[in-house]
Parts: sequence; C-alpha cells; structure tokens
Amino acid sequence: MVGVAVRKARAISPVVMPHTSRRVESEPMSNINGKVYAMNVITPMKPWKTWILRGLFFVLGHVKPLQNDLINLSFIEFARWVILPRKQFPFLGKGQIKEDLKYDYLLFFSNFNGTWNQYIDAFSAVLSRGLNMIWRWSEKFPGSVPVTPFKEYIARVQFDTDYYYTSYPYATANDLKSAHIVQSALDSLDQRTQTCSPEQFAEAYLKFVLQVQSHLGETGEAPVAF
Amino acid sequence: MPNKNGSVYGLTILSPIIDDESATPSHDLQIREYLAKLPTGEESPFALAPGTHLCRLVVMDDVIYVGAPACEEHLHSKYLVFESNCDDDLDSYLQGLAASVPERLDAIWSHCVGYPGASNPQAFIDYMKACQIETTFYFAAVNDRSVTETLSALQTQRAVADFIACHQTVKPEQLQKEFTEFMAVLKAASVPRPGGMAPRRDIKTGGRNE
Amino acid sequence: MSKLNATDIQGFVLRGYNMPVARYLFLHFEDATRARSLVGRLLRKVTTGQRWDRGKPPNTLNIAFTHRGLVALDLPDAALLTFPVEFQQGMKKRAAILGDTGLNSPDHWDECWRTDQIHAWIGVNAQSPEALDVGCAEVMALLEETGGATAVASQDAAAVVIDGKPTTREHFGFTDGFGNPDYLGVERKSQPGQGKLMPDGSWAPLATGELLLGYADEAGELPVAPVPHLLASNGTFMVYRKLHQNLATFRAYLEEHSARYGGGKEKLAAKFIGRWRDGTPIELSPDRPDPSIAQDPSRSTNFTFGADPEGTRCPIGAHVRRVHPRDAFGFNSKLIDRRRITRRGLPYGPFAADGEAATDQEDRGVIFMALNANISRQFEFVQQQWIEYGNDAHLGNQKDMLMGNHGGRGRFVVQGDATTTNPPFLCGNLPNFVELRGGNYFFLPSITALGMIAMGLVDPR
Repeated sequence: MVGVAVRKARAISPVVMPHTSRRVESEPMSNINGKVYAMNVITPMKPWKTWILRGLFFVLGHVKPLQNDLINLSFIEFARWVILPRKQFPFLGKGQIKEDLKYDYLLFFSNFNGTWNQYIDAFSAVLSRGLNMIWRWSEKFPGSVPVTPFKEYIARVQFDTDYYYTSYPYATANDLKSAHIVQSALDSLDQRTQTCSPEQFAEAYLKFVLQVQSHLGETGEAPVAF
Repeated sequence: MPNKNGSVYGLTILSPIIDDESATPSHDLQIREYLAKLPTGEESPFALAPGTHLCRLVVMDDVIYVGAPACEEHLHSKYLVFESNCDDDLDSYLQGLAASVPERLDAIWSHCVGYPGASNPQAFIDYMKACQIETTFYFAAVNDRSVTETLSALQTQRAVADFIACHQTVKPEQLQKEFTEFMAVLKAASVPRPGGMAPRRDIKTGGRNE
Repeated sequence: MSKLNATDIQGFVLRGYNMPVARYLFLHFEDATRARSLVGRLLRKVTTGQRWDRGKPPNTLNIAFTHRGLVALDLPDAALLTFPVEFQQGMKKRAAILGDTGLNSPDHWDECWRTDQIHAWIGVNAQSPEALDVGCAEVMALLEETGGATAVASQDAAAVVIDGKPTTREHFGFTDGFGNPDYLGVERKSQPGQGKLMPDGSWAPLATGELLLGYADEAGELPVAPVPHLLASNGTFMVYRKLHQNLATFRAYLEEHSARYGGGKEKLAAKFIGRWRDGTPIELSPDRPDPSIAQDPSRSTNFTFGADPEGTRCPIGAHVRRVHPRDAFGFNSKLIDRRRITRRGLPYGPFAADGEAATDQEDRGVIFMALNANISRQFEFVQQQWIEYGNDAHLGNQKDMLMGNHGGRGRFVVQGDATTTNPPFLCGNLPNFVELRGGNYFFLPSITALGMIAMGLVDPR
C-alpha cells in the first residue's frame, strides 16, 4: 500500500482546512471509503412471510423505543431494509424480459464504521433478537447466535459494492454527532457573549469547554481493515 | 413515510441493465469498468452535485441461491442499484444531479433500459422514479443536518479543539479578544468540499491512521 | 462446563507465577527430527497448571511456537493451514493493521525480530537470579545434547526492585498487574471487576473459551480452532511484544505539562492511565491515592464508568478505560467481553527511581505478553481499535496517551469540571513514550499437544 506523500503545511489560521489537490490512491476494497463500509445483502423470502415482515417494520418505525439499541450501537451512519416483492422489480419494457420469480427479496444496505467482523460481532452480541425478528423470514437464516454460522450466512448473501461515495470519509457516526454538539455549543456561546465583560466571558467559556470536552476527537484516516 | 427519516431521504433505485448479447463487453461490465475508474473523493459526481451524504452504485448480477431446500432461481436482467442517502426532497435532488453532472450520469445509466439521458431533467426524474423502490425501513444516525451543515460542523470541531488547546492559560481579556477574532475567521471560512481528504499532516511517520 | 485438567495446560496460561526474574530464550530449529526430540525432552520439564501445594518451585519452564516453528517441526500442511491467518502471517506482516508504523515499524526492531528465524519461545521464570541461571543452563544443555535448536536470542526481564523488594511497578512508576480477567473454571480468586458485568451489577467469570481453545466462549459456541482438536485444545495463543520505554521523554513531558495543570503532577500522571501510581483507580478515588483501595483485591478493580459518562473522574481516553471499557459502551459489558486479554510480562532494563537520571537510550521497557484464544478478535482488535484509535470511545483518531504511536502529533484530553484542581486540560504534540522493538505471535500448546508434536503424531482430520 502506498503511503500518502505529505506536503508541508502552510502557516495558516487553524480554522481553514487545508485543501489539497492530490488524490488519495483509491481504496483497494470497493466496499470501503475512508471510515465507512458499504454492505449489500439480498435474501429470499416466501411471499406469504413478507407481510409479517412489513408489519414488524411498521411497528419498529412507529414505536421509537424499539430503535434505542440500534441508536446506541453508534457505528451505523445510515442503514435501510428494502422489501422487493417478486412482481415489483422495475420493468420498463423496451425489450426487457419481465422477471418471473418464486420468492420476494429482502435487500439490506448498511453504511457502518469499523470492520466487518466487529460489526457482526456487535450485532450478534447485543441485538440478536432484533436481527432474528427481521431475518428469520429469509430462507436458510441460521439465527444470529452463535456468531460463526451467522457470519457464514452473511458472507454467502452479501454482494460487493462497485462504487462508494461519502461526503465525509474521515468522520464516523460518532464524530458527526460530536461535531454537531460542538457547533451548537459554539453558536450558543457566541450568542450569549456578544456583550459581556472579560470575566463573564471567561466563565461562559469554561462552561462551554466543559460542554464540548468529550467531543473533541480528531477525524482522520481509518485503521487498516482486517 | 418510509423513504424519509427526519430531513434525510433514503433513495433506492434499481435500473434494469440492457441485455444485449452483441455488446462487447456486455453493458454490465461496461458500467463496472466505468465505476472502477470514477473518483470517489472530491471529484466524485456526487461531491460536485449537491445533497448526497453517502451513496453507492452496485451492479447486482443476480439473486443469490442460499442452498437446498430453498429453490434456485435467477433474474432475467441485471440491475444497477443506486442507494443514496441525501438531503432535500427527491425532485430537487435528482434535478441537482441532472444539472451538475449530466455527462457522468449518462456514462453510467446509458447502459440501462429506457434511460432518456440527463439533458432533459424532467425525463431523467421520471425515469428514476420509474425505477424507484420504496425503502421499507430507514435508519439514520444523524437525521436532521444537511451535508453542508455537517461539513461545517466537522470544520468547527477541529478548529475549536485547536483553539481550546492553544488557550489553556490565557487571561480573560486576551481570551475574549482572541475568541472574537476566531469566530470572525470561522464564520468567514468556506464550507469544506464534500468527499475531501483529511487535513494535511505536519510530520510524516508513514502508514495509516497517524 | 467441563472441568479443567490443570495437568494438561501449561502453567503460564493459568496463572502469573509472581516470580521476580525471567529469561526468554528464542530458538531456531534446523532439523525437524532433532527439533522434535528436543521438544520431547523439554516436555518433561514443562511447568503445568497444577497447584503448588508444597511451595513454589525454584524455577518454571514453558514453551510456545511461531507458525514457522510449527512448519519447521514438520507438522502436516493440512494442520498448519488451519491455524488462524494472523498467526500464519506473524506479527511483522500485520504491522499496518496494528499501527506498527513509523518509529514502531519492523525496520526499527531488534535484529532477531526483523528476520523470521524465531521458531520457539522458552520462558524460564525463577525465584532468584541463581535459580534462573540453573533453569536456563538445563535448557541450554538439552539444546547441546539433542542438537535440536540454536538459541538465536534471549531476553532478560525482572520485577522492579524497590527497597530490596520486588514490586509490580513499571518504569514510568505506575503499579501494573491489575485487570487480568477471571475465566470460568480457571482456578483463581475471583475479583469483582475482572470478569463480565451482569445486569444486576455483579461480576461473573468470562467463558473459558475466551482464553483456552476447546471450550465454549462468550459467543455461545466452541471457537474456531486449529485441527485436530487435540492439537488445539487446552492451548492458547500468545502475543509477545518488546516495548521500549522512553523514560526521559515521559518525565520531561509530565513535568512540563503538569506545571500548567491545576491538579498537579501526580494527578496528571494518574489521568493518563486511570490509576494513581500506587494503583488506586481514579474512578474510585479521584483526588488522591488510597492504599486501602489499591491493595484490597475486592476493591482495586471493582468499578464501572456508568456514573462518569463525561470522563470527569477518569478521562475517556485514559489507558484503563480504553483497554477495559466495562460498561462504558452500554449493554452491560457485552461489547467488551470478547475483547479481553490476559497479560503476563515483566519489565526489563535498569530501574531509575524518581530523581535518578535516566535517558531514552538506556535499554529499558516492558516485555508485554498477552494470552487469548483468538489473536485477531482479542489482542489485534484492542491494539487497533482501542489503543491506536478512539472511535468506540467517541474520540475519533485519538490514541492511547502512553502507548499510542503518536509521532509527535495527536491529543489527549483530560475531561474536568469547574473546580481548579480538576480542570479540563488538553495535552498535544504527543511524543512516542513507548516504542515497539519486536515481537511475534506464538501458539502455547497443551501438554498433550506437545507430546503429539514431539512424537510427530499430529494427524489432521
């Protein structure tokens, strides 16, 4: 792997992010861009089971506390499930042959931080019931516990990404949340201290630092996937 | 509405790829070849067009056979999957793509059945919607910030950390003065370009994650 | 679960011997037949996990092999290929994954580690330097007699002696040796804080399979292991890393930064690690060291971070919080339980007490050895994700203050509160306090497996 040649930093105000025109060598793995991994999974479902799954997703979407575990596993940037009924594959005519399938399909697209193993290990460890509720309707799903057969299944039903783009490759979901907290706190500090004495400012500033002190992680390159 | 979560939209497009045995290489391979060389950083079409947080393009060759007793079956067409997590409502987003990077869109989707080209934005939007699949359940870690707000916030975070580090034993008068200057510079700073690299490092020690 | 057969497991796996001196001999096998005969002779001396009912022996002996060593012993290819990929590659090839770049890159390692000649590790621990020499002499004699190997390197290590007594201090002055996990069935006094956290707040031992191959692990299965079963069962993997310590740099850095820190020098040092220098966890005693906690096994590791989410008592990036987050990631400790390692090891090199002169160039540091059932899931994960990186702790790319491969950059944040003795404090421009000088991955077989290897009886299924 090629190390990135670094040009000497110009002396600039620390605020402006230096813009470099040198492109990074593209990732060897097309599934990864910076700190985020694009996973694609497709599993077959007997059509009568699809309705049950739709019901479950409806409940999940409307009963917010059920999503808490997913939120607390804070390494997913975006994730979606897409039910693709066998008769609803896009058909545009013009010589295309209509699909003629037995199964409905469940597509899963995830954008997560960390390694493939770490991701699945975490889900298997703490979200196994939720995973089972979603995937038990897919053919040959072995359950999300224990983890080894689960990983084998995912490896079989996963297909690779050809092109992956992210606006913020060097930030993770945690970094994003922290960045927004810092931005809000800063805006608030700015507003509150438009006119005040230095001592009052120093006091407000300390409060501000305490607010943001656990949100000052630096963004940067991802560790090597393994 | 399942496609939306807060202010982000989960767009799922499945475009049937032209199946023409006389095409050499086949259309799906041509798409793959093009995508393999397409930049994924600041020069990505999705960085140049507005509103894309994250997106991917995947050539889906076929469904997957999970093994007996499941039945083996196959798709008649291959599909180009476009999964996008974007700002705005759908029409503005697609409009933005067609207006900013029409040649690149054409280079990719011209291999798909019924693609009208991006030169006619309405036709492009109609085509995409004809290929759209409803996202059944959509999860977003941060669902209420645009791409621009996010990039600004990341810049702010870095700048604030630097400021705090440099002002640890500074008297109130100086602190207040320098903070005011800092805010002025920060507010005037341009939004970092989407898809950008990490900032330059001062010292090269080799390897990743320094 | 099945009862452990302590006579089949190498003692080094089941317990830290608490002996003050050690020597690690690194062997190279020339000829498979003679090497196997050597293994057979050594086997009779290998210290098992049996309890020492009649007092500690004067010295102990244990043995482990690199993958190349197993190849040199002529194990069948079909068995060799079932070993995990990271073990087959060896630690040097995993450098990018582990963040062993720059000053820690293999280019800077001791010569014996830069080449691939090391096939086996022999650990001799002893109660005294004399007993150590006796033990090593016996090993060397066997090498001579069988012609089975050459000793290409050796490494001495010893507990730091203060006021005539061996201690568990390391060179930076911190008290080490806390935090080894409890495993089910491994004979040890169970200590609250060492195992996994149950929903009711109590601590239970981890599944045996997190340490030993052939037993159920925390994921509810028998972990993937080399074949045949008998080769792997009751064995484990060992990570060996020689960590040089830049004592002068550390002292200078601490001195310079504590001058600006409202809590003073000892508190800042405690904030780096998460324990005061005497071992008191700052989570339990944020203002001062407290020997009554540090020396009481029922208290010294008995804490969680749930009540300290902001890191005000123990910084979020402090060492102990990074390597054993306990409940800090939620879900009790379920995200942590499969990322634990057992540490064995000793300092090496001359000890310089506070006030005595010391340079970075002097050859001192710690021999770090970690035991785990799965190197990539356990050690490599912690090294990559929790030491050289900080995302799980919401710290972005920040690295472990003391162990991180900083290269002059990076930051460590001491979260604080509004009091003057516990202010928020940022440390930047971090030097490498610790540098990697070599190491590799080893397989520590059971007594049975050693016998199979010695007799050339390893048969893959």
